[in-house]
Order: sequence, then structure tokens, then C-alpha cells
Amino acid sequence: MSQLQVRFFTENAKYKVDDVPFSIPAASQVQDLSNIINKLLEAKHSKICHSNVEFDFLVRGNFLRTSLVNHMEAEGISTEEVVEIEYVQRFMAPQPEECIMHDDWISSVDTESEWILTGSYDKTARIWTQEGKAVMTVAGHTDVVKDVAWVKRDGVTSLLLTSSMDQTAILWEWNVERNKLKARHCCRGHAGSVDSIAVSPNQTKFCSGSWDKMLKIWSAVPTDKEDELEEQRDRPRKKQKTEQMGLTRTPIMTLSGHIEAVSSVLWSDNEEVCSASWDHTIRLWDVETGNMKSTLTGSKVFNCISYSPLCRRLASGSTDRHVRLWDPRSKDGSLVLLSLTSHTGWVTAVRWSPSNEQQLISGSLDCVVKLWDTRSCKAPLYDMAAHEDKVLCVDWREDGLLLSGGADNKLYTYRYSASTSAA
Amino acid sequence: MHAVSKSSEPRKTAKMSKSREKNTKRRVVEDDEDQLDLFKENKDEAPQKQVEKDGPSDGEDSDDSDSEESVFSGLEDSGSDSEDSEEDEEDFEEEASSGDENQGEGSSGLKTKQELSFTKKTQGKPQREKLLVKEKTTAGKTVVLKGVAKDNGTVQGEKKSKGQAIPPPQVDEYEHDTSDEEDIRNTVGNVPMEWYQDYPHIGYDLEGKKIFKPIRNKDELDEFLDKMENPDYWRTVHDKMTSTDIRLTDEQISLVHRLQSGQFGDVNFNEYEPYIDFFSGETMIHPVTNRPQDKRSFIPSLIEKEKVSKMVHAIKMGWIKPRKPKESDLQFYDLWAKEDPNAILGRHKMHVPAPKMKLPGHEESYNPPPEYLLTEEERLAWEQQDPEDRKLSFLPQKFSCLRSVPAYSRFIHERFERCLDLYLCPRQRKMRVNVDPEDLIPKLPKPRDLQPFPTIQSLIYRGHSSLVRCISLSPSGQWLASGSDDCTVRLWEVSTGRCMKTVEVGGAVRSIVWNPNPAICLVAVCFNETVVLLNPYLADKLVYNATDQLIASYVEPEEERPQPVQWQVPEIEDSDKGFRLIITHPKSVKQVTWHSKGDYLASVLSDNSNMQVLIHQVSKRRSQNPFRKNKGLVQCVSFHPIRPYFFVASQRCVRVYNLIKQELMKKLMANCKWISSMAIHPGGDNVICGSYDSRLSWFDLDLSTKPYKVLRHHKKALRGVAFHKNYPLFASGSDDGSVIVCHGMVYNDLLQNPLIVPVKVLKGHTLTHNLGVLDVAFHPTQPWVFSSGADATIRLFT
Repeated sequence: MSQLQVRFFTENAKYKVDDVPFSIPAASQVQDLSNIINKLLEAKHSKICHSNVEFDFLVRGNFLRTSLVNHMEAEGISTEEVVEIEYVQRFMAPQPEECIMHDDWISSVDTESEWILTGSYDKTARIWTQEGKAVMTVAGHTDVVKDVAWVKRDGVTSLLLTSSMDQTAILWEWNVERNKLKARHCCRGHAGSVDSIAVSPNQTKFCSGSWDKMLKIWSAVPTDKEDELEEQRDRPRKKQKTEQMGLTRTPIMTLSGHIEAVSSVLWSDNEEVCSASWDHTIRLWDVETGNMKSTLTGSKVFNCISYSPLCRRLASGSTDRHVRLWDPRSKDGSLVLLSLTSHTGWVTAVRWSPSNEQQLISGSLDCVVKLWDTRSCKAPLYDMAAHEDKVLCVDWREDGLLLSGGADNKLYTYRYSASTSAA
Repeated sequence: MHAVSKSSEPRKTAKMSKSREKNTKRRVVEDDEDQLDLFKENKDEAPQKQVEKDGPSDGEDSDDSDSEESVFSGLEDSGSDSEDSEEDEEDFEEEASSGDENQGEGSSGLKTKQELSFTKKTQGKPQREKLLVKEKTTAGKTVVLKGVAKDNGTVQGEKKSKGQAIPPPQVDEYEHDTSDEEDIRNTVGNVPMEWYQDYPHIGYDLEGKKIFKPIRNKDELDEFLDKMENPDYWRTVHDKMTSTDIRLTDEQISLVHRLQSGQFGDVNFNEYEPYIDFFSGETMIHPVTNRPQDKRSFIPSLIEKEKVSKMVHAIKMGWIKPRKPKESDLQFYDLWAKEDPNAILGRHKMHVPAPKMKLPGHEESYNPPPEYLLTEEERLAWEQQDPEDRKLSFLPQKFSCLRSVPAYSRFIHERFERCLDLYLCPRQRKMRVNVDPEDLIPKLPKPRDLQPFPTIQSLIYRGHSSLVRCISLSPSGQWLASGSDDCTVRLWEVSTGRCMKTVEVGGAVRSIVWNPNPAICLVAVCFNETVVLLNPYLADKLVYNATDQLIASYVEPEEERPQPVQWQVPEIEDSDKGFRLIITHPKSVKQVTWHSKGDYLASVLSDNSNMQVLIHQVSKRRSQNPFRKNKGLVQCVSFHPIRPYFFVASQRCVRVYNLIKQELMKKLMANCKWISSMAIHPGGDNVICGSYDSRLSWFDLDLSTKPYKVLRHHKKALRGVAFHKNYPLFASGSDDGSVIVCHGMVYNDLLQNPLIVPVKVLKGHTLTHNLGVLDVAFHPTQPWVFSSGADATIRLFT
């Protein structure tokens, strides 16, 4: 088998070639095919009009990563017929931008259009500019900050959340102009470290998941009223006041049902919370009623989940090194739609692309951040192996900024523009 | 003679037909006559026969025209006829009757049977004889008569003697007892003569008169004298019947001699007469009779036809059924029918045929095709080869003709080798047990089916600078405590491998145990002679604050009891490190363990006295030594998870004590040299023991005091064993740097033995100072195993 009959097509009108079958060597790699397309385009247009473009190729919806014949063998595609090959402009590799040094492990990262918020094991959270300049240190927790989140930006003030192993989450108000930070509310109620917080899309509530197996829904709206908390009688009230950062806030609702620690929470829409746990389940909760809606059961501990409203899929990272894609709506059939396997350690962080329904990034204990396309589940599009230690958190900003932080105290940022340019 | 006598009648008929032919077989006829005569005549009449032979020969011509009957009569009654003619021709009527007698007389003596037959004949033929007489008289056989006259005289005399009552010997001719010819005078019969012993007579004569015994005058002496003097004494025989002495004649004596010597009585009888084969086996060309076949022999028989038609009819009507064909095929009995075919097979399997010789090929030919001949180089190579390596044992050679082929020099050698082959060939196949080793392994489920169990190393907890002797998991599974020889205790976050706290202690940490009660946040750490209860502040705030309060709420009892150990509240600086209580022992402590309720604490002292194990109660700060006697070096102790039992592992055995009854319950013999570690199944009925001789023994307490199973998977000494709290898993860590995870399912069913399947060997630790894994611990909720090693790391396998 030396030659294969192929037909190229694309949805990008700019790079369209004639719809005729070609006979190409079976052992062609991506680069060879790309060269062929470029030659064709050159022949079609004038040489001046066309500049060399790198293409990627999809055979029946899967990215070509090996030689054509090997790929077809692996996928079980007949080599007798004419093969339809779609080509798209190749996503450009993420370009590393900044490396922001921290004093301690970075446990979490969240970005907003302008600022970067990181939580760290040195019990603080920090606000950075995109260029890596430290703007603010959020200090107040008595233990490791496990998760951070931006709530909303309202003019010159921003609301942000940090959760910590000291069993609290604190809602901060940050005045950007004056660069003043004030702890507005201290959310008490968890009996374990609060490992994960998520703000609802309408930015009025947030949810926290804790090691104590509970999920709690809180109001994210700062008020001046202090919620009454059962005080321990033997503790002097005064001392407690001094310890406390901001006004105490109690949860609106407590969702219990997990039998192990909750590792990750998110809002799939305004009324629905999704939580992943060490008890090998992902549970969907109705925030209105406080009921559990459904349970997705896996076989291993879930470390993180991410939801993409574009493709309405959940991505989960678990201790068995796979990134799995779930359909939270499906009630029957296979819950796992796809497994992305390439990591060699626990997947600790996963994040969907906010703009591309087929791309996500994942961070793992094997020190690598991988950029995936769901059309290529065996091999990621790109590996970002800058970290020297465990990757603990990743984030993907809408404008194509990728962030990853880990146990090497470094926060790396990458510029990834291909997704927008290709569209 | 006998043959002739039997066939006398047919012979007569034969003669009837033949007699018409003249002179053709005269000789034969004469012989016949002669022989026929013998029937009627006594042997004594032999001279007469001779005469008769001559006579008929003379008169035969005249007799030619005679009827067969005349021939008969002539032959038969020649003798008597002549007699009749001589005596009186007129009274032939009388003669005929007397002739009968005479004939009988003539045949007197030897052949009584013949006589009888004869008498019968004669009765049937009186008239013939009359005719015969007439004819004979006409024939005029005078010559014959002369010779017969003598006999006739005697006959006459005899007739007279009958009348005279003198018992003539001829009288006895009617007696059928032919055995005694002589004894005819005494007619007493065949009775024993002893009956007459007392009588003067010995019998009766024919007239019925007594025969008197002769006057016995012979006595013994006379007898003797007689014997001496009488030269004929030896041939004298006493006849009892007549009481006379008879002197035997020479003929009689010779007869006796002949009979005694087994010869025939008749001197003239030739027993070796040439045999005349009358009925020969040869097929004659001529039929015995010339009689033409009867007409009926070739005319179909009507009777038969009738019978046949009847049968045909019967067959048609179905009355006669054809005979069932006989089952002609022989019934064979299968001797081997019931023999086990395998046995036969086995027998044949055992057979090893003799090795066959290779058949000669072209190269062995005296005139091989040229391609079989070796070239010069090949020949040289062949010669240089070792004889055993040679492909051919000879050099193919070419000869012009078979005649010029020399004698094969290696013939004897090859024969010898062939004989060796045959002799040394194994006659029997060696029985080898073809057992697949796989079959001997008990059927265990595949590890794949026993998931989940840890399979891969996930996290490494780095931070210690020396070997990590002990690890312990918090009850929640969030934290890990480890103690090391670098005199620190470290507390780790399990999920990330982050070291959350480092606590300096005053010595190498020998043992560290997290309090199993989730409501208490305490870690027991032992180093040197101290056991420290440490509050790591890693739990719910409420919990660790409550723990502090619990310890602080202790009230000193009023009376001080003597304690084997010293309880201390730490100084402020130690208190800041988290120390809450310090228990100082008299000797160095090597192990510490909590009771599942979290109040009691047992410590093992490395001391050879009777104070090796101490049990402390934290809430009351009291210690006691439960054992009075030293029963060997205690290696480790453990509390039963549910019941008030206490396990004490010494070097070779594990003793189980009931703490309430304060008695020894069981003694588990570990079958190993030195127990290093012990773990109790969360159900409490199973115990595993690791030993320094690289064995892991599983005890089922309900089953036996001997190990239910001994696993020897490790290559070096075991240092730590652990059971998982929820999953059916146990693990063992060894000096060879590996952790072996086994599936150890304990069933609620008492009848079902635990299922133990080794599922995974986990490697990761590097050997340092010949030490590998020092301790293993399971995560309380996940199927994860932690191992601490001499390479100063702790590894998590998931």
C-alpha cells in the first residue's frame, strides 16, 4: 500500500482547493499533507496572494497525528476507498509569556479581564497584573488558601473570594483605584478545609465545597449585616472579633450527599451546581430546592471538573490519569463520552476553553499542562512542560490566555491565539 | 478261512452262474468245494478229503450238466452218500435220518457252531439228499468208499457202544461245554468236586450209576516215592472228576509248552502267512457284478413324484416353511471387548520400536551419479571433520563394475554399532508426569477482577532527610504523619504531597500513630524513652480545640498511685510545637499503638525484663503493666478493633489476651524466626504477621493457631504489614524495596476461608543501607497505600 486516494475539503473558504481526488503516499505525515495543500493553493492563487499556512488534518473527525496509513489502520478505516480529509488551519502553539514567581506553592488561579488572582500555600492570595506585577496581597487566612475566585467587577471595585484550609471562605472587596482591600464577609460553617469555590453565573451566589463532604451555597452580595453564628460560650467574644476578617456570613443552603471530600464545585447555570468528590461521583444539585438531581459515577477519585457551556459537557480530571468528558444531561447510556489519555499522573486541574467548544487544558502531577482537542483523544495538541513540579491549577481566559500554577511556586502564562484566529 | 465261511452263500450263487462255463474256473470251484467240505467234515477226515478231491476231479465232466442243486448235494454229502450207498440202498429213508446223525457225528468235536449251522441246513434239505443218493450210486464212487470205510466202522461201533453204556468219548459230542473233551465219563456236571468229598462216589455215569472213587491207597509217602521213582511223574496229572492219574502224551506236553510260550497251539499254523488283500483299496475297472441296472432305477418313481408334489403343494400353501438359514457365521467371542482402551493404548504407547536403519541412498551406490561424488575440497573437508560431525560416515566412491568393489572395511564396525543401537535403544518409554505447572496453582481470580487496588505510584512526599521509620494516616484521610530518623515528625497533605508541618522531637522517631477516634486529634509519637501525644492542629478547628480541652481538663487524683512511667505536661516551648502530654518510660520505647476508642494507648519497651508492654489510659493518665512474666521479646502489640483483646507478638508467636478476663486466649504459632510486624483485620478475626525471614503469615483466628496461609513473595525481610479498613486489601513492605498488595477477602460466612490473592508488586523505593520499605499504611477511605522507605521518602500508590 503505497498510494492512497484522498479528497481534501475545508470549511474555510479562504483555503478551498478543487474537489478532486488525489493519490498521495500512504506514509504521508501531517507536514507532507500540509505541503500538498500549500502547493495546491499556490497553484490556484498567485504566489503573491498566498503565504505559507500550516494545516492540520482531520480524518473522519479525528486529528491526524501519525502517518496517514497508521492512523487509518488504528481507526479501522478502509484504505480502498477515497479518503475524505478535512483540513483546518493549524492552531498555533501557545506562546509562553510570563512566569510569575510566588513564595509558595500555587494552589489556585483565577483570571479576570485584567487581573490574575492566585491562591497560595503561604496562606495568602495575590492579585497580579497580566504582565506579572504583584498588585495586591490578600492576607487574612490562617491556613493555606485553597481556592480563589473573582466574583465581579463593579466599576473601580472588585469582589473576590478566597477559600482556605482554615475552614472559611472570605469575600473581599478590592478598590482598584486606591488599591485598598477589605474583607467584607467571612463565610463560616464548614468543618473542613474549603477546597473549592465557584461563583454563580449571575454573580449573586457562590458555592463552596469542602473536605467535610458538604457543599454550601452562600450569597456573594456584600452586606453590612452580620449573620448570627452560634457562638461558643466558653470563648471570649472579643478575641473572636479580632481574629475574624469581616463580618461573619452563614450559608444559604447546605447540600449534603457526598460521602467523601468534595474536591471541586462549579455552576453549570444559575440554578445548578455540579460537584466532584473523592467518593468517585460527580453530583448535580438544584440550588433552588437543594436536591441532588443526578449522579455520575466514576471509578476513581475526581480531583477537578470543568463545564463548557458551548458543548455542554463536563470534563473531569481524576487520579487515574485520564481526563474524561461527561454529558451531565444524559440519563442513560454511556456517561463517559471520551477519555483523553496522555497524562502520567493525577490530573489535578482541567479547564474548558471559554471560546472553543473542542478545546480544553489540563494540568497534572506529572508537571505537564496539556492542551487538548476533543477530536484527538489519544494525543494532545500541545504539551506545556514548563513546570518543574506538580501542576495544581490551570485557567483559560476568554482572550486566549492560559495560566498554570504549581508546586514549583511559578505561575506560567501562555498566549494562545489560534482558536480565535482559526474561527 | 473265516472270510470264506462268511460269504459261503454268495459264493454258491456265483458258482451257479459260473458253472455253466466249462473249465474256466475249475480251480476256484475245486477250492471252494474243498473248503466247503471242511464245514461238514472233521479235521480228522483229512485223508478222506484228499480222496474226495481226486474223486470229483474225475467225475466232474460227467457232472457238467448237473443242476446247481446237484452240484450242491454232491459237494455237501459226498462222504455220507458214499456211506449210504455202501451200507444199504433200500432203507435210504432211515439213512437219511441217520445220515443226519452221521453227518453230525462226522463233524464231532471241534467246531460246534459249524455243526449247529449244518444241522439247520440238513433239516431243510432231506429230500435233496435222497436225490443225491440216487445220483451218487449211479456215479459209482467206489474208490472213495474204500477210504471212508474205516470211519464208517467206527461210527458203527459207536452206535453199538451207546447201547453198551460204555461212555465213549464221542458221547460227549452233544455237550456244549467244549472246554473239557476228556471228562465225559462222569456226568455229574459242572459242580465243584468238593461236594463229593464225603461220599464214596464222585459222580454218575450216563446210566445214572454212581461212579465210585478208586480205592485211595496212595498216601504221602507213596506220593513221594512215586515222585522219586516214577520217571513220568512230572507228566502225570490228577483228574479230579475221575480221580485218575493221567499221563500226558508228548504231543500234549508240546502243546502245553507252546501255549505257555504264547505260541499257537497248532504246530502247523503259520501266523505269518502272506496276507491276501482280497478287498483291495484300488478301484476296480470292472463292476463286482455284471448285472444290468434295473429298469426302476431309471424310471422316475411315482411314489416319489407323489411325495414331491405333496411337498410342493405344502410349500405353496405355506405349510412348510423354508428352513431358517443356519447362522453359519461363527460366533466369536471378543476377548478384548471389555478391556479398557486406555490400557491398550497405554501398552502400545510404552512400545518403542527398534530404531530403523536409514535406507541406502544414491551415495551408497557403487556407481553413484557424479553429483554424489565429493570434490577434492569436500573430501578434504570431510577428512578434517570430526567423525561425529560428518554428514556422511563414508566417502562415496565410484567403481566401474560391482566386481571391483572391495570388501567394506567398516562392515564389522557398522554391524557392531547397529547392534549397539538395538541393544542400547530404550525398550520402554520413560513415564514422565506431564503436568502443566499452571494446573497445580490453585484457581485464583485474576487481579484484574479484584480491582480496585493500588497499581501505580502517584505521589512522593519528600522532605525527610533520613529514613522514614513510620507513617500513619489521619482518620479522615486528609493528613499523613511520618516519623523519621532525622528526629522530626512531618505532617503531610495527602492529596498534594505538601508538608504542612514539621515537628522536631528529641530523637529518632520509632513509631507514630494517629488516634483512630475522629473526634480526637492526637498523634502518638515515640522516640527514645518517651511517648509524646502531639496535637497537629490538622482537623476541624472544633476537634482540635476539643482535644486540647480534653487533655487540659484532667484533674489530679487525690491519692498518688505508683506509676511505672512518668506522665508530664510539656513545657511551654514543647507545648507550642503541639506536644500535649509526655510519657516517659524507664527504657526506650519501640512501638506505640492506640485502642480504637482512642483512650488507651499501648507501648512496647525494648527491655528484656517483665515490663515490656505498658497500657496507658490517656484520660486518667494512668499506666499499668499487664504482664507479670516475660514471655519472650515482645516485638509489637495491637488492640483488637472491636473486642477487648490484646495481641502481643513475640519473636515466634502471637499471644492473644482477653483484657477483661485477664487470661491468655490463643497462641498463634507463626512458623517463622522473628516476627517484625503485625496487623489485625478490621473484622478482628484475622491477623497477618510479617517476619524478618521474608514471610507473611495469615492467621484465621477461628480456624487454627497455625497460619492459614504463608506468603513468601518478598525476597527480603518484611518490615511492615497493613490492612485496609474498608477494602479487602493488605500490603506488606520489605527490605527489597517493594510493597506487595494482596487481595485478602474475609467472608462473613464462617465456612468460607479467606481468599488471598497477591495482586500487585509496587516498586519505587530505592534501597538505602540495605533497607527498602520500612512501613506501609493504607488510606482510610481510598484504595491507596503509602509506604515509607529508607530513602527518606514516602510514596503513595494509587
